[in-house]
Amino acid sequence: MVADGLFDGALGVLLLTLATAVLHARQLYTSVVLLIAFGLLLALTWARLGAPDLALAEAAIGAGLTGALLLSALARCGEAPPGPSRAPPLRVLPATLLALLVGIVLLRALWPLAEGPVLLPALALGQLPAAGVDHPVTAVLLNYRAWDTLLELVVLMLALLGVRQLHSAKQVIPPPWPLLLAWTRMLAPLALLVGGYVLWRGAFAPGGAFQAGALLAAGAVILRLNHLLPPVRWDNGLVRLLVVLGLGVFLAVGVVGLVGPGLGFGPVGTAWLAYPPALAGPLILTIEAAATLSIATTLTLLVVGEPEELRA
Amino acid sequence: MTLFYLCIGGGLFVLGLHSLLLRPHWLRAIMAINIMGSGVFMVMVALARRGDTTDPVLHALVVTGLVIAVSATAFALRLASGLLERTKKPEGGA
Amino acid sequence: MTLALISLLTPLAMALLLLLSRSRSGWWVMGSSLVSLIAALGALHGVIQDGAQWMHLGGWDAPLAIRFRLMPVSALLLVFTALIHLLVSVYAERSRHSQTQRTDYWPLSSLLHASLAALWLSHDLFNWYITLELLGLVAVAMVTISGAKAYVPALRYLLLSLVASLFYLLGVVLLYGHYGVLDLALLADAAKADPTTRLALALMTLGLMLKAAFWPLHLWLPPAHASAPTAVSALLSALVVKGPLFILWLLWSELAPAELGQEAGPVIAVAGVLALIFGGWSALRAPYLKTLVAYSTVAQLGYAMMALGLLLHWQRPELHVALWLFVLAHGLAKVSMFLAAGEMQATLGSKSVGVLKGATQTMPIAMFAFAVAGGSLIGLPPSGGFLAKWVLLRPLLLEPAHWPWAAGVLIGTLMSAGYVFRVVVLSFDRAHPTRPDHRPDLFAQWLALLPALLVWGMALISDPLILWLTGGAP
Repeated sequence: MVADGLFDGALGVLLLTLATAVLHARQLYTSVVLLIAFGLLLALTWARLGAPDLALAEAAIGAGLTGALLLSALARCGEAPPGPSRAPPLRVLPATLLALLVGIVLLRALWPLAEGPVLLPALALGQLPAAGVDHPVTAVLLNYRAWDTLLELVVLMLALLGVRQLHSAKQVIPPPWPLLLAWTRMLAPLALLVGGYVLWRGAFAPGGAFQAGALLAAGAVILRLNHLLPPVRWDNGLVRLLVVLGLGVFLAVGVVGLVGPGLGFGPVGTAWLAYPPALAGPLILTIEAAATLSIATTLTLLVVGEPEELRA
Repeated sequence: MTLFYLCIGGGLFVLGLHSLLLRPHWLRAIMAINIMGSGVFMVMVALARRGDTTDPVLHALVVTGLVIAVSATAFALRLASGLLERTKKPEGGA
Repeated sequence: MTLALISLLTPLAMALLLLLSRSRSGWWVMGSSLVSLIAALGALHGVIQDGAQWMHLGGWDAPLAIRFRLMPVSALLLVFTALIHLLVSVYAERSRHSQTQRTDYWPLSSLLHASLAALWLSHDLFNWYITLELLGLVAVAMVTISGAKAYVPALRYLLLSLVASLFYLLGVVLLYGHYGVLDLALLADAAKADPTTRLALALMTLGLMLKAAFWPLHLWLPPAHASAPTAVSALLSALVVKGPLFILWLLWSELAPAELGQEAGPVIAVAGVLALIFGGWSALRAPYLKTLVAYSTVAQLGYAMMALGLLLHWQRPELHVALWLFVLAHGLAKVSMFLAAGEMQATLGSKSVGVLKGATQTMPIAMFAFAVAGGSLIGLPPSGGFLAKWVLLRPLLLEPAHWPWAAGVLIGTLMSAGYVFRVVVLSFDRAHPTRPDHRPDLFAQWLALLPALLVWGMALISDPLILWLTGGAP
């Protein structure tokens, strides 16, 4: 018990310290590197709090891909020139007071939540047999609240479309370091394998489309950074198809479920995004597979997509 | 334990907010928003720990939130670097 | 409900098809907007006949599932969204000044339509978080279409929008932690006025106020709307800021306990009066034409804030009729104003207000559209703007204790008249009119006039409109 308490205490203090260091370091490069460390520590925290799906997602997306994005942004725009990096005291004092006030009010509101009502988990677990998968988080993501997941895929696609509108300078990827090249030749197929496994595993254990997609994207990114993959171009029809595939399959399943009874498909779903219980498992796997490909392609384009390739 | 992590989550949120109030460099502002987001997610995951079983709904919501956060971060970073390439000015302000 | 779903899914599917085929033609989007409009009209008809409808997504029961709710207000908003998209897409396709040639304007505009429809239909707090993020991202992506000059306002909008979303999300999490559900109707039954609920509502309101550009959290709007392409400015002012307003209204009128509503009401209403004053003042002094129109949006939102605030203060749900009439009238008038302003700006060759000298001679139809739209914003009878203002003023004028609020509305009217007449008077100065750089495009100017005529036509359907809106009181 004491060991647990010490561990939690150390974790909490470390998190807060790292966050402070990220936000107040002098150099942007230091901040970025510390943020990646923060992301990994956060993944550890999710694991400690009993959320392995989140730990997987945070490590791949939060620490890995966000770190790559930050480093590439830093490379494009350069370090901030030296100057007064401390904000003027006139601004610091009211900001600190306001933040303290918000903190106190927030803490007071959070205190009673530790004993709040817990209604949904029982319902979610109770309906699990009819949901088509054995893992509750996947059931929530792909069945109970599938509309949220569909819209989330739209968010991801929108971020890519937004990046496509921007005019920016080409980023020069330096020639690969020999050690990195050797590592990549080992890591990339491993990423593909692990990604596929995590996708399949999501049906009965922690895993799923987002984690798998992020892993595949990570593999593609390191391949591209080592010039082992040609530039991924938007005018390539296959790329566009992959980006749109997840949403397309999701919508198709929903529409078939809606019009099915009218066209005589038998007892298909009865509402938008309702799966017939017998087919729920295979349908979810299909949607997840398509979504994994979309997520992987979109994340790869977001991280290593070059302006001319994207704007085609 | 839930209460402890609730407080840490709140602390992260406030740390990020405080940094934003100081009108930092664009990149640092984006990192501050990330930390604020992580604070909110920590509150959610801590709340998921109440009761006998962990709450799968909250975990699913955090996965969704994580993906939204990375999408928004990617777009914001590209936009900020597109801006900074042109001006090479450090104090963009938030 | 199926028709409402079709109205939502058509633009979404069209966006995917456009991305796959890389088509730059606007006819597809016009077609899908038309289909969506017809479906939305059908849904409106259905909800008026049969009353409010619910759909449980996935076939699960609440509180596990997300629910869609179709009420007369949301059906009306679906029709409104589809109509505005149709009008703006015709303009974007036909006008030579719109920037749709080498950009992704068409799929983005379809995704905007789909995101708004998803917002109007949803009834789940976390689902609204996702739709708010969708709206923010698509709005910023569309603003950046104009190129590098729009990057600073776009980035500021994006970062502020992200912070606002996080505030909203934290509020949602507090409510979930306290009550255990995410569905609005279930939360409405369970909500009590304790500190956690208070803070949750405050956080959500702050986030939504920033996204809806309520004074004093409006500073991001004028630069963003002014630097966006004309068609995008029209969509942003008419539609995007109204989404968070919808959520705010439902949150306070359904979820918040009456005591909290009565406390928060006066604050929102006073902020509305200040929006009218300060927004109008900034519009009077704006050097650039589009900035003037953008500040006019900030000011006009003051009426919506007053309607919402007084609705909560006096606990009179029927004031929501005024709120939504304002939204409809303002949306149509603002589209007209932005299209006219954009045409005039592009043809006469400068962004400043002074370029409109003598515009009644060089571009009479566009100027007429601007004036007619401005008339609705001022509230001249018998326009839609007048209708909305009248529904708001009636309870204010009945009791002398409420006359200060009526005075606020009057000041707002005077300031709107000020900035509209500023432009109109300048355009009548025909001594040395600004010579156009290109031959003025008549069709685009008639397109700009159309929404202005529609908003004046709202008065013709005022009785059924008010009946539909009242029938849908929550």
